[in-house]
Amino acid sequence: MKRYVRLYLYFLQFSFSKAMEFRLDFSFRIIMDIVYSLVNILFFKILFQHTTLIAGWREDQMLIFVASYILVDAISMTVFSTNMWWLAFQINKGDLDYHLIRPVSPLFFLSLREFSANSFMNLLISIGLLTYALGHYADPFSWSDLFLLLALLINGALMYYCCQMLLILPVFWTQSARGFMDLFYSMGIAMERPDRIFKGWLRVLFTIVLPFALIASFPVRLFLEKFNWPTFLHLVAVTILLWILMLGIWRRGLRAYSSASS
Amino acid sequence: MNWWKHVMLMELRKILAYRSDFWITFLGQTLIQLLVARSLWQMIFASEGVKVMNGYSLEMMNLYYLIIPIGTRMLSGENIGFVSREIYEGTFTRYLLYPISVFQYKTLTYMTYSLFYGLQLFLLYSLYRLFFTTSSITVMDFSNLLLGVGLFLLASLTYLLMAMLIELIALWADNIWTLIVMLKFFVTFLGGGFVPLTFFPALFQDILRWTPFPYLIQVPAQTIMGMSQSQDIFRAIALLLIWALIFMELIKIVWKRGEKQYTGVGI
Repeated sequence: MKRYVRLYLYFLQFSFSKAMEFRLDFSFRIIMDIVYSLVNILFFKILFQHTTLIAGWREDQMLIFVASYILVDAISMTVFSTNMWWLAFQINKGDLDYHLIRPVSPLFFLSLREFSANSFMNLLISIGLLTYALGHYADPFSWSDLFLLLALLINGALMYYCCQMLLILPVFWTQSARGFMDLFYSMGIAMERPDRIFKGWLRVLFTIVLPFALIASFPVRLFLEKFNWPTFLHLVAVTILLWILMLGIWRRGLRAYSSASS
Repeated sequence: MNWWKHVMLMELRKILAYRSDFWITFLGQTLIQLLVARSLWQMIFASEGVKVMNGYSLEMMNLYYLIIPIGTRMLSGENIGFVSREIYEGTFTRYLLYPISVFQYKTLTYMTYSLFYGLQLFLLYSLYRLFFTTSSITVMDFSNLLLGVGLFLLASLTYLLMAMLIELIALWADNIWTLIVMLKFFVTFLGGGFVPLTFFPALFQDILRWTPFPYLIQVPAQTIMGMSQSQDIFRAIALLLIWALIFMELIKIVWKRGEKQYTGVGI
């Protein structure tokens, strides 16, 4: 464990010095993420011009939800996204060999090697946005509510990573260059909507099979509404199952990996 | 065979190289965006207790969000980095050696993608209307569909020029994909890709009428649905062409200066 922490610190050091080499890109990335946040806030602002409640939430409650999924996205962009971007190419080109022979977990190495230092600034901005949203929230809340929200949002970021992996790992079998990354980005929209809008089989899809709707919506529901065990246990159970599934597919994928490039 | 036919066939082969991936992604993207948007609007219509909002019934919203994902794919054509990546890697040099203009070549490869997605839009929309026609929407009209897909193609050309202008910044900067992502955010949001523009405040709509954004997404989509009047279509064609000319002139200026910066080495 200690070795992995030390290794991760080296990853951080390397990533920050690399980010500083491309200063213009560093600034562009910050502006891009600010635009992403603005567009999301404006989207719901426009909807609230025409309705007073969306999925049972008022505008100030919705702002907390928006800030929450922006935070999840920022964590994902900072910690995982660059690694995820390259993973499919590495499998496709046979570059995984170099990682399989290293004396560290290849999953750890491939998922965390590149810390996106330029997105780190946006992580700070998204924390600021969540603080602003909480400051404008009309109802009272306790520190324990806030702690639970933050812990569940971090869990949400890990779920988001698992979902992304599930749509990349088919590359082991399809040999395509990007896996289903485009599909993943489209599905991300389900994370950006309150889970209550989904009914029937679509609800099953987004809350159990590919649980995008659990990532931010369930944590915010547990924060805004009274804590309830079924919602919490649902979240915990799906998280555990998702990890088991992702690790199982990763292992099977490694067995199917031929090393030859395509 | 003319050179452009060779180029188009080669691009089509690239598009269909991984067929299962391609079709799963296409159907998945379209259906998911449609179903998520439908779920949201269903809830809003129900909570407001209305049948029509800002000129859209729920059924029209469904149609709108069926068209939007494929329409925006048509705009995006060959996707991010079609010029900047090649400048970054130094492979842009080969286009300078070809006996045809690099801009003609890139326009053709880009538009092959747009044309292919246009065919998908044509097929999917026809199938949807065949199976889900309802009384509250005007009868499916193939001339509207053809006109709308044509407008999307013209919009793709204008968007290509906007994107090209930004891609050429790679002659000075190392990494510009973030700028293209920003352009996509702006175009999708201000073009009515997230919410139809009739839901925007009136002042905002008035300003947007003079920009290319509504004509890139909303107007072509509404034309397919039979919601556009002939003057809307003429205005869209005129404004798209005017903006295309403006971007073309800007590209000429940027290229004239940037060409001297290009080393052909790559990073």
